[in-house]
Amino acid sequence: MSQCSNPLALIAEVTHRCPLHCVYCSNPLELTSRKEELATEDWLRVFGEAAALGVLHLHLTGGEPLARADLTEMIAGARQSRLYTNLITSGIGLSRERLAQLVAAGLDHIQLSFQGSNEVHANWIAGARAHAHKIDLAAWIRLHRIAFTVNLVVHRQNIEHLEGTIAALEALHPDRMEIAHAQYYGWALQNRSALLPTRAQLDHAVAVVATAEERLRGKVRIDMVVPDYHARYPKACMGGWGRQSMLIDPSGRALPCHAAGVIPHMRFDNVRERALDWIWRRSEAFQRFRGEDWMPEPCRSCDRRKEDFGGCRCQAFLLTGDASATDPVCELAPLHHLIENAVRENALRDDGASSSGQQACEASFHVLQEKMASFWSYRSDPKE
Amino acid sequence: MAELTDASVPKFAAGCRWGGPTEAPVVLFPEGAIRVEGTGRVILELCDGHFSLAEIVQKLETQFILAPKGKISADVRTFLEQLHAKRIVDY
Repeated sequence: MSQCSNPLALIAEVTHRCPLHCVYCSNPLELTSRKEELATEDWLRVFGEAAALGVLHLHLTGGEPLARADLTEMIAGARQSRLYTNLITSGIGLSRERLAQLVAAGLDHIQLSFQGSNEVHANWIAGARAHAHKIDLAAWIRLHRIAFTVNLVVHRQNIEHLEGTIAALEALHPDRMEIAHAQYYGWALQNRSALLPTRAQLDHAVAVVATAEERLRGKVRIDMVVPDYHARYPKACMGGWGRQSMLIDPSGRALPCHAAGVIPHMRFDNVRERALDWIWRRSEAFQRFRGEDWMPEPCRSCDRRKEDFGGCRCQAFLLTGDASATDPVCELAPLHHLIENAVRENALRDDGASSSGQQACEASFHVLQEKMASFWSYRSDPKE
Repeated sequence: MAELTDASVPKFAAGCRWGGPTEAPVVLFPEGAIRVEGTGRVILELCDGHFSLAEIVQKLETQFILAPKGKISADVRTFLEQLHAKRIVDY
């Protein structure tokens, strides 16, 4: 067994229910239904076990975590276990009163997602009328002494507006902006051709962010995540498999990351049956790609293996069919041409179909979904 | 960034606090955690919004009577300015 340190972060996907239908959603295509969700007491026990295991930060995410009526109780329980609680949310379902309750329960940090800054355009990407509420909510958040981050997922359909979007988000007075390019898992992989920017678009976006960073220094911190398809080397996914983080899905399965469920023949233990400490140290899933023993060449003898840990196992599987392959993003990977081809093909894509869909935004979601079907798939709802 | 003066009242920035195991507390903030030990911890514990920089320095000078004159003041300033740059301390 490889040596393992303690996890520092617990990502709790408390539900897959969500009022938004974002086309880049990183949730799995196979969503967990409400009746399979863990109960409040299970979550509270898991938070206690996590703190005992050395976890410091709890990230409450989903789906939309606000869809859980017991969210206040969860935050209070996490705080009692001395965890730092971060809520990652679309804001839909958060009234002024409920926000005050979450803060009183001990919420430390809120990350509010934005799809853009133009209302119609943002709603078109989310597949829901959500933007106006987010603006109201941002002002209510600033009335409390908690950390406030705005999150923006950047992709081909909003990258051209990045400069204006940053200016609009700045007006909400966040402490921090997270500008993350879509990562191609789950729904985003399904919609990759509509989302992957060209190299020229990316270069422009990087320059826009650099200018904004300079202007906002000391006021708003900007963290940027670039799309790894345009990088030379892979990302250090999750800071290494089973090295820093664990994710619990709505049904209680413990995974090393958001996407690991796609890897076939992998057994994920459930917190209903096993203690978190056992899962972290002993479960097959967490040991599978921990350390370096699993690495193929060129990773095995590469100096970069201590920095990027061989890249992302899920991406390797999704693109090559082999979870042990070198992440094809790496220019040294035998199958790197898969990435080069995707980038090249996408550069030639015609995005003409998008404008008619934006006009359909005022219609019901089903009309919008149908209208956009040849362009992208909106994230669906979990089965009841 | 704000200027640190004798009258400044340093305190944790929004979303920053002590946490982790009670026997080995760390400072938690949105992106991570840092271990602060020794004098740093003594200084940070005084940054509860009740004391000005001048008062904090005075308290430390009473506690560490052998430190050369001016050294404590300079060290406290540097320490707080570093934490301010990381958005952990406000003043």
